[in-house]
Amino acid sequence: MPHTGGPQDYRQTQTGQTAPHSLQCRPANWDKTHHLDREQCCVSTLSVILVALQKGTERPKQGARRTGSLKSSGPIGAGLVQASRSLQTSSQSLAPVPPLPEHGGKVRHGLIPEELFQLLYPKTGVTGPYMLGTGLLVYLLSKEIYILNHETIAAISIGSVIVYGVKNFGPSVAAFADKLNEDKVAKAQEVKDVAMSSLTQAIEDEKKEQWRAEGRAMLFDAKRNNVAMLLETNYRERLHMVTNEVKRRLDYQIALQHLNRRMQQEHMINWVEKNVISSITPQQEKESIAKCIADLKVLAKTTQAKAA
Amino acid sequence: MTLSLFDQFLSPALMGVPLAAAALALPWALFPRPTLRWVNNRLLTLQNWFFGQFAQQIFLPINIAGHKWAVLLTSLMLFLITLNTAGLLPYTFTPTTQLSMNMGFAVPLWLATVILGMRTQPTHSLGHLLPEGTPTLLIPVLIIIETISLFIRPLALGVRLTANLTAGHLLIQLVSTATSVLLMTMPVLAVLTATLLFLLTLLEVAVAMIQAYVFVLLLSLYLQENV
Repeated sequence: MPHTGGPQDYRQTQTGQTAPHSLQCRPANWDKTHHLDREQCCVSTLSVILVALQKGTERPKQGARRTGSLKSSGPIGAGLVQASRSLQTSSQSLAPVPPLPEHGGKVRHGLIPEELFQLLYPKTGVTGPYMLGTGLLVYLLSKEIYILNHETIAAISIGSVIVYGVKNFGPSVAAFADKLNEDKVAKAQEVKDVAMSSLTQAIEDEKKEQWRAEGRAMLFDAKRNNVAMLLETNYRERLHMVTNEVKRRLDYQIALQHLNRRMQQEHMINWVEKNVISSITPQQEKESIAKCIADLKVLAKTTQAKAA
Repeated sequence: MTLSLFDQFLSPALMGVPLAAAALALPWALFPRPTLRWVNNRLLTLQNWFFGQFAQQIFLPINIAGHKWAVLLTSLMLFLITLNTAGLLPYTFTPTTQLSMNMGFAVPLWLATVILGMRTQPTHSLGHLLPEGTPTLLIPVLIIIETISLFIRPLALGVRLTANLTAGHLLIQLVSTATSVLLMTMPVLAVLTATLLFLLTLLEVAVAMIQAYVFVLLLSLYLQENV
């Protein structure tokens, strides 16, 4: 019976033998040899199929479950599993890659890698590779393994173009490639630096704000003082105004009283004068005028006497 | 072995096994696949830079619907340029010297652009058969002429590439034959022919790259008309 692979490998019978059997539920003498009834047989077959499907579609762990899995069973088992694994999605692709070498490969004379010279140096020294090249060339030519024809001239021509190109433009192209990479790294570095500087700036701004918050109490005190002074000033102004108004009114009353008194006085004086003047008889007036003249003469005499 | 002038153009076979497949698979082996690294080695950096530049250059005038062709045209360009420049080495077989292969590139791609144009915007595509501002009397003649020019495009694409490369290779062979013959009899003249050969080689390097670029550029132009 051909080895069909598949789930039969890890399916052990009740008797402990790994006897190959097909997925048919009931070969002829199965009940007798395996002591299973129909339900158990179908359930076991279904479970076998399900486990086989599960093993076929799950992502295999690294090196685990080697025994009895689909991978190791049958000629195409491994291929089936690998085919079902999609590219670059398993955790294997997240492993860290080995670092790149610092410098690119060196070539001598534009075409021959430096590694050949390093390889031959211990045995044959510095001239080893050149001797090898010359000897090989002479051998090929003399044995007519390589025949000189027009292709040789064409080869010399294109070879010289290539060597010229590598020697002249090689360093600049390499520098350009390095610059591309450096620019890429520099851009990312700049993003990081900008982020860091903005964060440190934010920290300093925050500290400044905290300092400002401390000073706010002083500011409020000053403002409070200001307001109090304004209120005081206002109050005093109004007080002053009130005082002035009251004084004005009182002054008015005083002025009124003065006016009254003065008018009374003047009126009285006028009345007295009028009465006096009207009471002066002409007789009295003549007597008084005569007396005045006599007094004046006397005065004149005394004044003249003083002057003399 | 003695070579005739035709040997470089024969499709190579080793004991009945056609080696053209190996010649065609060479460009695939020369260019590394993008890695999981962020900063790559010089070759990969330059390769990525070149692809970016080229794709930007070619696809700038094409609208968004045509950008689906970016991978195809970029890979075609790389393929052609590698085959052309690798064919300049001695004793190599250049597949692009075979008209069959170039027509195999030109006809399907050209036909694809035409069919795309006819299916998505038939009026616009047919409108290309008549340039603007033609006098009324000339319209029938001009439509016939434009149709002929449309159908000659794949032929022109294929034959241009084939002819340029074949002619270049043949010239190199002839001049180098002349040099090798003259080297025995008149060495001074051989120096002259050697100089000619050197200049011709430089030209051929340029032509190899330019022809590949022109092929892809023209295809992109046809695409631009039709998409």
